Amino acid sequence: MSVIAAIQETPLDPRDELGALLGQARGDGAAVSFVGVARLVSRDGDPIDRLILEHHPTLTRRSLEGIANAAARRFEVSHVRVVHRCGEIPAGDPIVFAGAAWARRRAAFDAADYLMDRLKTEAVLWKREEGPAGSAWIEPREADYHERGRWG
Amino acid sequence: MKIRFHGRLADALGRELDIDLQAPCTIGRLRQRIAASFPLAAGLLGDHRVRACVRDRLVADDHRVAISDAVEFLPPVSGG
Repeated sequence: MSVIAAIQETPLDPRDELGALLGQARGDGAAVSFVGVARLVSRDGDPIDRLILEHHPTLTRRSLEGIANAAARRFEVSHVRVVHRCGEIPAGDPIVFAGAAWARRRAAFDAADYLMDRLKTEAVLWKREEGPAGSAWIEPREADYHERGRWG
Repeated sequence: MKIRFHGRLADALGRELDIDLQAPCTIGRLRQRIAASFPLAAGLLGDHRVRACVRDRLVADDHRVAISDAVEFLPPVSGG
């Protein structure tokens, strides 16, 4: 089993991350991945130039590791890989890669779903969208907390 | 005592604040004291989702901080 959880200021290439997951999971029957991308338009319909993701020097990494390890334990998947961006992210660029692999697909799907529900509400990061209309902090919506609540 | 703020709290209160604390107190009392000094940020600080962090550990409002502690306040987090 392997669990990877990383935070990086450099651009994230989902193809590289999926390649790394598949390399780790060689022999497994299923690999499921999710890629989160910085939106081009805000919830209010305003164009966005960039997303700023502030992180904490210690708590951010610890939160990512905790979530990734919890997914591996809960779904008994063989491999979990979470890589999150921080810093300044141009609109349209990837923010996060979350993937899981196992012998069969169901646990891998569930693990990826669980990873994202927890990352959305518990990863220690603060998001700010910037565009011509100004800047706005983005916090989880009620729906995000509700989806997190599905897992107990 | 050094207080650090993150995210939208830093916009409202600045990144760092020095408070002259004469005796240990709880996190809840500290919130009240900062809110009294910065009434415009009282609503933000009072959000139950705002967590306090001491020595890299999240702590509850009844946690007592020493004069020598540094305290961080974390607004609601969101990744993904």
